[in-house]
Amino acid sequence: MPREIITLQVGQCGNQIGMEFWKQLCLEHGISKEGILEDFATQGGDRKDVFFYQADDQHYIPRALLIDLEPRVINGIQNSEYRNLYNHENIFVSDHGGGAGNNWASGYHQGKGVEEDIMDMIDREADGSDSLEGFVLCHSIAGGTGSGMGSYLLETLNDRYSKKLVQTYSVFPNQMETSDVVVQPYNSLLTLKRLTLNADCVVVLDNTALNRIAVERLHLSNPTFAQTNSLVSTVMSASTTTLRYPGYMNNDLVGLLASLIPTPRCHFLMTGYTPLTVERQANVIRKTTVLDVMRRLLQTKNIMVSSYARNKEASQAKYISILNIIQGEVDPTQVHESLQRIRERKLVNFIEWGPASIQVALSRKSPYVQTAHRVSGLMLASHTSIRHLFSKCLNQYEKLRKKQAFLDNYRKFPMFADNDLSEFDESRDIIESLVDEYKACESPDYIKWGMEDPDNVLTGEGNATGTVDPKLAV
Amino acid sequence: MESPAALSTPPWNVERPFLTGRFHQEVKGTSRLAHDSLSVGSGKAIGCYDAGVQELIVIDDILSALVGIEGRYISITRIRGKEDEVSFQVDASMDLALQEMVKRIFPLCQSFLLISQFVESRSQFKNGLVNHSFTAALRELLLDYQAMVAQLEHQFRLGRLSIQGLWFYCQPLMVSMQALSVVIQKASTSNSTGSALLNLLQSQAKAMAGDNAVRSLLERMTQRANNAYLGILERWVYEGVIDDPYGEFFIKENKSLLKESLTQDNDAKFWRERYSLKDGIPSFLANIAGTILTTGKYLNVMRECGHTVQVPMSENSTFMSFGANHHYLECIKAAYDFTSGELLSLIKEQYDLMGKLRSIKHYLLLDQGDFLVHFMDIARDELNKKLEEISVEKLQSLLDLALRTTAAASDPCHEDLTCCVERSSLLKKLCDLELHATVSDGKGSEELVNITGLETFSLSYKVQWPLSIVVSRKALTKYQLIFRFLFHCKHVERQLCGAWQMHQGVRALNSRGTAISRSSLLCRSMLKFINSLLHYLTFEVLEPNWHVMYTKLQAAKSIDEVIQHHDYFLERCLRECLLLLPELLKKMERLKILCLQYSAAAQWLISSSLDIPKLGESSDNLHRTIKSKPGKSRGPSEGLMFATKNVTVTDSILKFEKDFNTELQSLALILSNNAQKEPYITHLAQWIIGVGSSS
Repeated sequence: MPREIITLQVGQCGNQIGMEFWKQLCLEHGISKEGILEDFATQGGDRKDVFFYQADDQHYIPRALLIDLEPRVINGIQNSEYRNLYNHENIFVSDHGGGAGNNWASGYHQGKGVEEDIMDMIDREADGSDSLEGFVLCHSIAGGTGSGMGSYLLETLNDRYSKKLVQTYSVFPNQMETSDVVVQPYNSLLTLKRLTLNADCVVVLDNTALNRIAVERLHLSNPTFAQTNSLVSTVMSASTTTLRYPGYMNNDLVGLLASLIPTPRCHFLMTGYTPLTVERQANVIRKTTVLDVMRRLLQTKNIMVSSYARNKEASQAKYISILNIIQGEVDPTQVHESLQRIRERKLVNFIEWGPASIQVALSRKSPYVQTAHRVSGLMLASHTSIRHLFSKCLNQYEKLRKKQAFLDNYRKFPMFADNDLSEFDESRDIIESLVDEYKACESPDYIKWGMEDPDNVLTGEGNATGTVDPKLAV
Repeated sequence: MESPAALSTPPWNVERPFLTGRFHQEVKGTSRLAHDSLSVGSGKAIGCYDAGVQELIVIDDILSALVGIEGRYISITRIRGKEDEVSFQVDASMDLALQEMVKRIFPLCQSFLLISQFVESRSQFKNGLVNHSFTAALRELLLDYQAMVAQLEHQFRLGRLSIQGLWFYCQPLMVSMQALSVVIQKASTSNSTGSALLNLLQSQAKAMAGDNAVRSLLERMTQRANNAYLGILERWVYEGVIDDPYGEFFIKENKSLLKESLTQDNDAKFWRERYSLKDGIPSFLANIAGTILTTGKYLNVMRECGHTVQVPMSENSTFMSFGANHHYLECIKAAYDFTSGELLSLIKEQYDLMGKLRSIKHYLLLDQGDFLVHFMDIARDELNKKLEEISVEKLQSLLDLALRTTAAASDPCHEDLTCCVERSSLLKKLCDLELHATVSDGKGSEELVNITGLETFSLSYKVQWPLSIVVSRKALTKYQLIFRFLFHCKHVERQLCGAWQMHQGVRALNSRGTAISRSSLLCRSMLKFINSLLHYLTFEVLEPNWHVMYTKLQAAKSIDEVIQHHDYFLERCLRECLLLLPELLKKMERLKILCLQYSAAAQWLISSSLDIPKLGESSDNLHRTIKSKPGKSRGPSEGLMFATKNVTVTDSILKFEKDFNTELQSLALILSNNAQKEPYITHLAQWIIGVGSSS
């Protein structure tokens, strides 16, 4: 069973979206709540084994680890109708059950404490697979467990499974409303450092945008967590369709990611999905053609990351790469025409320093899930405007940090002991350089970025242009 | 035209000429003697009698001459060398008025002789069924004629026949007998048999269209002659059997071509040449000959499959009711519709053609490519070996393993997939197949030296009769060519993904402005190139064309249509996959080789540029490098080391970059030069050169 992927869901948010994700996968593959293949699910051709394995009695078990420091969400799962789906050995709840108190440092520290237990679980899962392709981590970056313990797990995985890919689905906090977690900016910043350095790919799920989409696109006045989580699970399952329903290309995670991610650090992806529906919602059924879907995917209102850019900056933002995963009954001849149309209309603003174009993957739809729309599409894109999200995080951090607020909670833990706050500074620097790199990507001279140093041999090559944006120099 | 199966006429038939009508020839020598002696013996020249007596004698003689027997005063001579031409002479002393009268009747006698002689000679077995039935019809005619002569004689005996009366009775026959004898003469000079004879009869009937009686006679003859032929035709069209002992039929069977040859023969000869049209198609069937051929061919295919199919016969579906109303055309059409429908449903439903094609698409066109990912994982070492060291058996078992553990497992057809290792690279193979105009640039030999399984690996698919009619060796070879191209592209993509992953590994270092960041961008360009190429091949070429073919196949009415659509699909894919454009293909190969060289070097490039910061900060933590700008915080000696080491690394990366960009630009040039001719090249150019085609 080749190219397996192990999912780690950490913290309250991670487990919630993880659970939605597994629900969706079970539906699509025709697996019952108990993990047993439904009688109608006889149409083969799908790959259940990437995300599931079979127990001796043939029932399917997700390759998932459920990790939390407080029992509430996991207990909820264990009392739900899906309780028999998961492998109970793969559920980890800390003994004291006290959680991480929304403190990154606490989560990180506790992560270190239980490393052995969790690594045992991961090793067991890894040994159970033929050729492990990588890990997927679901978490939020604002709280304590998902961010802190998630960060610790990222570092450890990177260390222990350096050859494996690590992809994360990271939920960014809602910036529009004041959070009950006041230290959110600290947590976000510290997690972002790990996401930058220790993950191969981060799919950014911005709660602000998810809420906005739920309100504006789905006309829900007050979207619940369950509803926004279902958006997330839709994105997660759609982005794995090429792995689960093999096609011409992108049949492995590395191929999927390598085409999207230009440089090692610029690995933050935005997503968009259309048409969106929420259960029990009588939505207007729209006509869906490939062109419609592709066009809608490019509209900011459908993108699950909010744009914090000011107008001028927004106009400079560019796509580095786009992959559109189109599902459903598609006439393949439409694809070319649609791309042509989008090209002619100049609907996409691509980077200028390298070849770029919209890539399309046609994928089958699950035969067991009835949808009202004939075609649906997911966009995975690397877009430079994501830097504004990071800048926003940086700004919020700076504000808090200037006031020296709430730092005591962090000083309690070894990493920040003796008032050593260098970890914050380091993280800040890394995020800042990340923002700079994305900004540099907007310039046509990105290839020569950072090579303006006269000591550097490469400058000889760059003399032709010589006009490097002075802002780019650190 | 003599078929070996033709029986020979028993010798006694020839040796005893008086049993046949041929005695006229045989007794030629003696007849004149007899005539001489007779005229001498009777002593008197006819002129001695008075006119009334002369008339009686002459009538008697003419009655004999009418059935080809010389009389006392009428002699038959044959012109030497021209066997068929006889002439009648009359005694010169005869009353002139009588002579004139007699000479008018002579052509009838001549015609009779010719016809009866034709009947004799053409009834022999070797002349074939058409001749037989034609002569039979003639013989009937002659019988009538002889009956008329007998009646005339009877009248004569009763004394009721004058020479004028005789002339009167002969007249109606005269024209038609003469017309027949013209036909016969033509037939015997050209020695026509089979369809040639039929054509002759028909054209003659048409030529005589003005004369109603003659035309209808000739048409009757034609129809009779056709009967035998239509009998053969009927068996062929309704049963698929060639029942043609004398080789007259216009369809021939080449028994040496076996259906098994479809899976080996590169030209798919079996389908085209097992049954073929010969020269000499009867003109009335000329327009429909193709249909006739395929009808019987289809019947044969079904018989080979073990299905005996008989075209349902009804009262009016027999060809014998041949007439001017072209009923036979409708019969043939009906039979064709029936058989082609039957065969098509047999192949589509019972043998599941579409399922097979879909499965071939899964594996050979990588429409369900996950098995390949796994296969390349597990067969990497084996494929990297040199040609001679590769074990096909091992590859096969690895392939089976890959198929069993991926999505392919649920496809019952996956067991038909086999793998093979070709002897030559794709370019060479294309030259060998003469799909390329041989461009010999002396590279051929050099190419072979370091060729590995990756360049020569190919899949094959076991196709059983009767599906091999559609997916013949020829078609399969085309699939394989496409597969090999895709496979190599996939290999390049994999290697580049490997290089990409290596870059990911050094994420933690601040690589800004170093060789690594340059390298990662180059890696991106290369990945973009190979991905674009693959995208173009799959989503712009294979998938749309397959889609078009699929809809066409659904609507196809006959297996030949299916074959045609399928071949067209393959031909188009080959062309659009650039496999028929050696210039472009070579450029692609060159670019792919650069990508491979780069990804092979990536490991070294990255690890050697990694050494540098490690040297530079021995004890310090990693983060300092991240903060500090490379090259500035270092001491002079370290900086020097960094510089020298970095020079080589950077140089080689820049060299790769330069080479790659040069090749890409020259590719762009070729593409834009060709874009005018072929729209698909524009599509490719859009993918590969795309927006912002870089420096």
